[in-house]
This record gives sequence, structure tokens and C-alpha cells, in this order.
Amino acid sequence: MVNTRRKEMQYMDNKMLMGIYDNPDSTYAVTKQLMKEGYDIHDVYTPFAVHGLDRVMGVKRTRLSIAAFVFAMCGVASALTLITYASYIDWPMNIGGKPSLIGPDYIPITFELGILFTAFGMVGAFFVVNRMFWGRNTDVIDVRVTDDRFVIAVNIHENKTNVKALEGIFVSGGALEVRERIKEI
Amino acid sequence: MSYESPIRETLVTGGKTYADVTNDILRPLEQKATKSWWIGFTLSALVLALWIGATTYTVLVGLGAWGINKTVGWAFDITNFVFWVGIGHAGTLISAVLLLFRQKWRMSINRSAEAMTIFAVICAASFILSHMGRPWMAYWPVPLPNAFGSLWVNFNSPLVWDVFAISTYFSVSLVFWYIGLIPDIASIRDRATTKVRKFVYNFFSMGWNGSTRTWHRYEMISLILAGISTPLVLSVHSIVSMDFATSLVPGWHTTIFPPYFVAGAIFSGFGMVLTLLVVGRVVLKQENYITMGHLDAMCRIVMLTGSMVGLAYITEFFVAAYSGVEYEQYAFINRAFGPYWWSYWTMMTCNLIAPQVFWIKWARSTPWFIFLMSIVVNIGMWFERFVIIVTSLHRDFIPSSWSMYTPTIVEVSILIGSFGLFFTLYFLFCRYLPTINMAEIKSIIPTHHADHGHGQAAHGEHAKKGDAVHG
Repeated sequence: MVNTRRKEMQYMDNKMLMGIYDNPDSTYAVTKQLMKEGYDIHDVYTPFAVHGLDRVMGVKRTRLSIAAFVFAMCGVASALTLITYASYIDWPMNIGGKPSLIGPDYIPITFELGILFTAFGMVGAFFVVNRMFWGRNTDVIDVRVTDDRFVIAVNIHENKTNVKALEGIFVSGGALEVRERIKEI
Repeated sequence: MSYESPIRETLVTGGKTYADVTNDILRPLEQKATKSWWIGFTLSALVLALWIGATTYTVLVGLGAWGINKTVGWAFDITNFVFWVGIGHAGTLISAVLLLFRQKWRMSINRSAEAMTIFAVICAASFILSHMGRPWMAYWPVPLPNAFGSLWVNFNSPLVWDVFAISTYFSVSLVFWYIGLIPDIASIRDRATTKVRKFVYNFFSMGWNGSTRTWHRYEMISLILAGISTPLVLSVHSIVSMDFATSLVPGWHTTIFPPYFVAGAIFSGFGMVLTLLVVGRVVLKQENYITMGHLDAMCRIVMLTGSMVGLAYITEFFVAAYSGVEYEQYAFINRAFGPYWWSYWTMMTCNLIAPQVFWIKWARSTPWFIFLMSIVVNIGMWFERFVIIVTSLHRDFIPSSWSMYTPTIVEVSILIGSFGLFFTLYFLFCRYLPTINMAEIKSIIPTHHADHGHGQAAHGEHAKKGDAVHG
């Protein structure tokens, strides 16, 4: 008996209501209204990056840019360590009597490795934070979302979320379709 | 979603909706391969076979199979290398530099230009490998410890810088290209009808779901990748130019080389992009995405960079005369009036004089003429590298070692064959991946096309409120 109840609660808490749109402008306007009225927006799914939507949803600025800088510095440090070790510490080469610790000649490789580390490090970090990896099977919210539909998914909390009012906002905002869906855990 | 200027022409014509974009761009992938695709692919594969044959012969016999000699040690190999690397610069330039400058017309052409970049760099790398003579020792320029008897590589040498530059450029371009492809691969996945398609595209889509949180991070990394790719493009061809410029050979030893090579690379890259797209837009029925406006913009860039390259040619000549160094002066006189005069004047005609026709509106708006001009640019830029390399080397400091260079049939086969390698890869790309970035194109088509409920007035109202306007 208790078990069933818990299952039911879990089920209730796993539900989302989705409004499906065909237009980024109405998606944007409805998202803005929902945020203002305090609904718990799970996420908004779009076929392309709708500028400003992230800001309205209250998505915090990603720290990937900081990660990129850290990776860049790692690349620069690795390059300088490698070159200095190889051509100054381990085996200084005498080329026409020139000094083997030369600043300007080290710049190209240092620069290239800085770029290489930034690109691979940052893109790797991007995959990690999005939990993206080759072969991942994702539960796509609606297959049309990679084509021409925009989906706003709002979490439904039992006894807290006014589903009727939410549906009203979706429909008056121009939703083509409103339906319920169980969230994947 | 984007602000629509009442004056500017729209970048995508034909009143396309979002679904139209997906259907149009995925049509070549989802339908059976057309006859023209099969013809093109088969021809390219045959030419590729020539490349495989000639390269294998070179590896088996050694560099004696080529026409190079003691005086002209670099000839067709490095000419072809620099030619292909130069072509490989337009892709990243279009997607990175034009992204930073917010040039939205790039969105229709960046995907195929980046693909072109990657395939061209593969061609370029193949010449580096084969010119070594012993390609199984290709790992020697990599800094490995002293375990097999030789020293570390010489970090002061531009040839070692080049190893780092080209490999970084190739891998970063590949990453940039793949990142741009992920949302589109997800689109193909969600429309896939067969099991194999679904599996393969699902594998490479990495679980993309179109979430706004993901898009937010995606936009950030795209911007940073563009930011770091811009100096990367410039650095790579600067370093390629230093392979020559840091030597003591008259005609190579000039400080103008880095900017001159970079301008030349953009010039030849856009030449090749035009060659591919003028045909591709018709064959793939993408005239509404790659419009005459796009061709016009690219022609202007060709004209600008062609003029920059031409200015560099003249500057080189002037500096040689002004320097008072007789070796330097002789190198340039010999280029223009020596035994290889024909290659010099081909270069001058194709690169400096020919692109000037793009001042005329007719030239920029006639596809067959643009196609013709793009071939002329490709030929001119190949000859530029030939002139720089062969004419500078063939008459060196000691007249007793002067010699002439004639390519053998093997070298010519490798050059022709490399086009087979390039086009085979390009045809496969057209068949299995979307040639236009759908996710980006959808963001620039006017919203009201997709908006059935409201007219343009309603959209204008949104824009006035300052909601979600970007540009």
C-alpha cells in the first residue's frame, strides 16, 4: 500500500506539461510569461539557438569560457616546458653559435599548442557538462524539435502546479498542441 | 526571431519555412543517389586511383621517380602542398572570421567550405608525406626523446613549426566542423527511416536534444572556437611562408611573405569555394540558399584578395630593385624574363589582371563566368607557388649548378590524382552530410514565414518591444 503510494507520487512528480509551438517569437513570449508567474520550466527545446531565450529562462552564463582560458594556459605551459627542456636543458644545440634559449623562435609552437589545447579541452568540457558522448541514446522530447517545432516543457508538482492555468497560458500563447509527458529519470 | 532590415535583401529567398529548410537540404541525403552524383563520384574515384598508383610507385621506387635534381630539390611536391594548404584556408576563414564580423551570409556556405578545408589539408598532408621519400619515417619531425640515436628536433626550424601548425589546423578545423554538424546530424537522426541510418546518425549526434541550456553552451564554444581559429588561420599560412622566408635563397628571403601568403591563401580558397558552389547550388537545387548575393559577395572577396596578392608581386619586384642586392635582382628578372617566363606571366595574368573583371556587375552576377574565373584563379595560384619554388631554385648562386626542372609523368599524375582524392571525399560529403548548416540557416529566415497566425506587423511589434532581437 505504502509502496504504491510512493510510486504514484514519483509518477506525479515526474510529469511535465509541454506546449508545442511553430515559432520562436511566441515560444519566447510564453517562456517569459511562465517565468514571471513562477512556473518551474524544465527546459525549452528549439531547432536552432534562439537568442535571448537562455537569458529569459535564467540560464546562468556558462563557465566554459573560463575553462577555455585554463586549457589555453595549460597548452602554453606544456609547449614552453617541452621546448625549453628539449632544446636547452636536455640537449642544447649549437647552431651557428646562437644561444639555445631563444624567445621569438619558441612563439609559433607555443601559440599552436595553446590553440590546440583550448579547442580540445573546451570541446571536451562541453561534452562532459552536456553529458554528450558517441552512441548516446537520448530521449528526444519530440522528434520534430530538430526540424521545425519549439517545445516548452514545464515540470508539474503535485498540489502546487495549477495545470489548468498553465494550459491556458500555453494555448493563449499560440500553442499548436499541449500534452503531458513523463520525464525520464 | 532576428531583426529584419527593410532595406537589405533577405539571405534566404523563396519564402522558406523551417520545415522547407530541413526538406530541401536533406533531400540529397535521403533520396537515392542521383545519376549525376554517380557520374561525378565514379570519375573522381578513377582519378583517385591514378593518385594511389602514382604515389605507390613513388614510395616503391623513391624520389628518383620525380624530375627533381640537386639544384631544384623542391618542385611539384611543395608546389602542390602549398597550393592545397592555401585552398584549405577559406573554410575556416569563412566560418571563423566572418562569424566574428557577424557576416550572416556565411551561413549558407560555411559547411561546404569547411569540408573543403579538411579535404584540402588531407591532400596537402599527402604531399608532405610523399616528398619525404621515406614516408614510414614521417614521425621524425615529432619531438620524441633521443631513444633511437638522433637528437631532438630543431625547435628553431620553421619546418618543425609547420608540423605543429598543420596538425593543429587540421584537428581544430575538424572539431569546429563536427561541432557545427551535431545539431544537423540530430535532425537526420530524427527523420531516419532505416535502422542503419538511425544507428549511425544517432551514434554521431551524441544525444543532441535541442535543449536551450545546451544551445547556450554551444553558442559560447562556437564563438570561442571562431575566436581562436581566426589567428590560427593566419598563423598557419604565415608559418608555411616562413618555410621559405627564413631561408637564404634569393626570391624567398623576404619579409613580405607572411601577409602575402595569407592573402594568396584566402584568394585561392575562395576560388575553390566558388568552383564548388557555383555548380553545387544548381545540382543540389540550393539556389534559394546560396543566392546570387552570396556569389557576388565572394567575387568581391576574390577581387580584393587578388589585388592584394598582385600588390605583393609588384612590391617584391620593387624591393628587389631597391635593395641593390644583385642576387635578389637577378632572381626577379629571371622569373619574369628567364626560361620560366611563361609560368610567371600566367601567374600575373590569372591572379592580378583577371580578377579585376569583378569590378563589373555583370561579371559578378553571371554564374558560368564566375565558374570560369574561379578555375582561372585556381590555375593562377598553382602557378604562383611553382614560380616561387622552381624559378627561385633553378638558378642558384653558382652558375655551374644551374639546371632546369621538368616534371615526370609520375609527378603530374600525383597532382591530377590529388584532385581525385579531394573530389572523392567531397562527393561522399555531399551524399552523407548536409551541405548547408540547417540550424544556422533556420535562425536567419524571417520568422513570419513560419508564423501562420501573425503577419509581418505582429513580428515588427515584437521587435519593437526589444524582445529577443539579435543581429
